[in-house]
Amino acid sequence: MPEIARSEYLEELATLEASALGGLDLVNTALARTMEAVENQDVELAQVVIADDDRIDGRYLEVHQSLITLLATQSPVATDLRLISALLHVLKSIERMGDQCVNVCKVIPLTGNYAPVDARMVDLIVRMGGHTRTLILQAKRAFEERDVEMARDLVRRDDAVDELNRECFHLALEIGDDADRREWAMTMLLSARAIERVGDNAVDIGEQVAFVVTGLFREFEDASHPA
Amino acid sequence: MLGAATKRSAAEEGKPEMSKRPAGVTSTEPVTKAGRGAKTIEARDVDLFYGDFHAVEGVTMTIAPNKVTALIGSSGCGKTTFLRSLNRMHELTPGARVDGHVSLDGEDIYGKGVDPVEVRRLIGMVFQQPNPFPTMSIYDNVAAGLNLNSRRIPKSRKDSVVERSLRGAHLWEEVKDRLDKPGSGLSGGQQQRLCIARAIAVEPEVLLMDEPCSALDPLATLAIEDLIAELKNRYTIVIVTHNMQQAARASDVTAFFNLDATGKPGHLVEVGATNEIFTNPTQKQTEDYVSGRFG
Repeated sequence: MPEIARSEYLEELATLEASALGGLDLVNTALARTMEAVENQDVELAQVVIADDDRIDGRYLEVHQSLITLLATQSPVATDLRLISALLHVLKSIERMGDQCVNVCKVIPLTGNYAPVDARMVDLIVRMGGHTRTLILQAKRAFEERDVEMARDLVRRDDAVDELNRECFHLALEIGDDADRREWAMTMLLSARAIERVGDNAVDIGEQVAFVVTGLFREFEDASHPA
Repeated sequence: MLGAATKRSAAEEGKPEMSKRPAGVTSTEPVTKAGRGAKTIEARDVDLFYGDFHAVEGVTMTIAPNKVTALIGSSGCGKTTFLRSLNRMHELTPGARVDGHVSLDGEDIYGKGVDPVEVRRLIGMVFQQPNPFPTMSIYDNVAAGLNLNSRRIPKSRKDSVVERSLRGAHLWEEVKDRLDKPGSGLSGGQQQRLCIARAIAVEPEVLLMDEPCSALDPLATLAIEDLIAELKNRYTIVIVTHNMQQAARASDVTAFFNLDATGKPGHLVEVGATNEIFTNPTQKQTEDYVSGRFG
């Protein structure tokens, strides 16, 4: 059987995959800076993260358009079609992750120039950020290696992030009656919630890994019907 | 119906289904909308030869009624040869031979005493190149099959069959005012629809189509595909196509044929629901073919 490799098309698809997954590196950097800004109440660094989100959005738009062009011109089917469909989902997740970092950075000026009301809360959020960065890197590697087990393991790691988020909530409940302290705690809870969502987005990417490999799309965990 | 046909069911033969797919995704799935005359074709262990050349090997598949089954595969894989064995046209080639069993709703079309002409009436064929009889009028082209199959038909009945067939082929409105003009004066797409009208005039149960759109422009192709979608409500349809997107668009079931090397016989690699074949085929060969990795 003569081999007619569609080399240009396949190279372009591989390049687009690398470019889309490279968006996760951008998010990882944004999240690292966000955590540093939270820890040090660094408003200027927060502004850098906000400004840099344009790079993540730009990557999203650029790769999205190129994937649509491939769909229109190359009629991809089977694994190629599943890969393109998955990458469109992954891009959306990446764009959302970038926006969540922006959300955290936007509230940093609101937390004031004084020392944190409760250092434990900041510590919890920074730990959440650390776990979530691991999730992002693992999601990327699972996609690159088409490793469904590694993708499923994201759920376990995400549980740790969710647990820290719950601890933030309980800490906020104990913060006391003072209006300023409560406002600070509420603001920090918004940040914790944003980081928790970034973890969920990483799990979503893991679900797309399973779809590419198996052809079946299933949520690893159903939030409305937890096991 | 086919004369002295010998019935051989799968159970009697005791041979397994070739399909490796789980139940429910093959062409054997139950038919929910029964057609007027559509029937099931069963091919079992079909081997086809041109003299000493073994063209097709061991094809076993069920072709469900009221569905469009597409046969795809690269040139020389035997898909057209297999199609031609389904209405006994293969044997018209000198030296050609058929081994195995092909049945229409359980009746062996190769059974002893079965009239091949009657088989070809029940299982009609539309060819790659539109082939209206060039000197005949549009009307006579459609009526040609009736004249061959019946000794004497009243003019009024013939009129009604011609109109019904042309309407069935989505051609009536375009030709009703020039039925006495030659069929060869029509456009390519119209000629192909005329050939489809000719095929359905004799009320077949199955329509075989051998690359029916390969000589047509994109608009005429889409018109034929629309027609195929409508015709499946009444007939069992098998279509050979080189156009993968056409198979994806127009068929319910796709069967992929391949051959291991030039000179080797073609064989059925995989048959399944078209959406499965084009999104998640089970065989790597199928994946490589539908993705354009070879062909």
